[in-house]
Amino acid sequence: MAATLCGRLLPKQGWLPLTQSVRHGSKAVTRHRKPMHILKQKLMAITEYIPPKPAAPPGALTPRVKPVQEESGLVLLLKKDLQTMFQDCKMIAVIQNNATNSEDMLLLKHRLHKHGIKIKFIPNQVMRSYLADSPYINMGPLFIGQTVLFVSKEPKVKEMLLSLRTSPQMVLLGACIEKILLSRQGVLNYAKLPSVTVVQGELVSGLTMLTSQTASMLQRHPTHLSLILQQYLKQQAPAGSTNGTPGESPPKAEETA
Amino acid sequence: MAASSKTTVVLKTVKNIVVQFCPFESNVRSTREFLVLVGSEKARSTNMNCEVMTEVKHDQSEPVVDITFMDGERLMMKGARLTSKEMLTALQSRCVAKDPQAKITAKK
Repeated sequence: MAATLCGRLLPKQGWLPLTQSVRHGSKAVTRHRKPMHILKQKLMAITEYIPPKPAAPPGALTPRVKPVQEESGLVLLLKKDLQTMFQDCKMIAVIQNNATNSEDMLLLKHRLHKHGIKIKFIPNQVMRSYLADSPYINMGPLFIGQTVLFVSKEPKVKEMLLSLRTSPQMVLLGACIEKILLSRQGVLNYAKLPSVTVVQGELVSGLTMLTSQTASMLQRHPTHLSLILQQYLKQQAPAGSTNGTPGESPPKAEETA
Repeated sequence: MAASSKTTVVLKTVKNIVVQFCPFESNVRSTREFLVLVGSEKARSTNMNCEVMTEVKHDQSEPVVDITFMDGERLMMKGARLTSKEMLTALQSRCVAKDPQAKITAKK
């Protein structure tokens, strides 16, 4: 230290040897690396010690197992609600909304409330986890993005479609009506169907048409019936003779007899 | 860093947009997200004449976005393998290319 400092502190005049000492010709570092022969250098480089790499800690190799998150109370509550909803309501429609205003939403809600249709907002994750357990698993892919549920006890499809027509941003994706999954086309067709009583009436009338005709024929005078039967025989006979084969006409004569 | 500097699109040069998809398919996510972005209030307020029409089909067809511009050009994007961001940047770049003067004045 004194040797390094002496270059600065030693003025040429005023040098007091008693207070300031200078080591002259003595070095601090005396052990230098001896020059090695190039071959020895190479040998030393080759035979250097490579320490063994420590094995990875046990926590790093095993894949991290995510602790299974228990569903929070809210999720469980929502799932219970969903269960009751699916059991009670006959119609559940899934609609995608592209940023509807709150005013529009209020209007829509009001319009639907008149027909007893409720609007429900349920997070997609909860919905999907519920549907995976329930028999409605095929509804799962519908719930991507912003979705709204319209639920009602009675399948009032026409009114729902009318109110949806007024709001262009709500897109009907699909519906589960009376436990049957329908696409948009299916919903439109369902809306065009007549009511159950009308369909039942049509079915009954179609089945009883023949019997009602025979009943009305029998109620008329029996000569009318005998005339009709004679006409029928005459029509059958020429048809059998014009065919030509004699084999055909005897079976026909047997049948009419 | 964001590919589109703003999440809204300026639809001034767009005549109408038709988005068709089948919701029961699995490759529909990006198309639906694109629809949300384009159908949002902000995007629609940039051009009230532009109609955003949605068709929901059930024939297992690919999701397709069909955009018609004011000068008659059509842009068709098949959304089965695209992300919503890619579709948005494609649309934005074309809008800017068509109407550069308005964009430059807006940015200034």
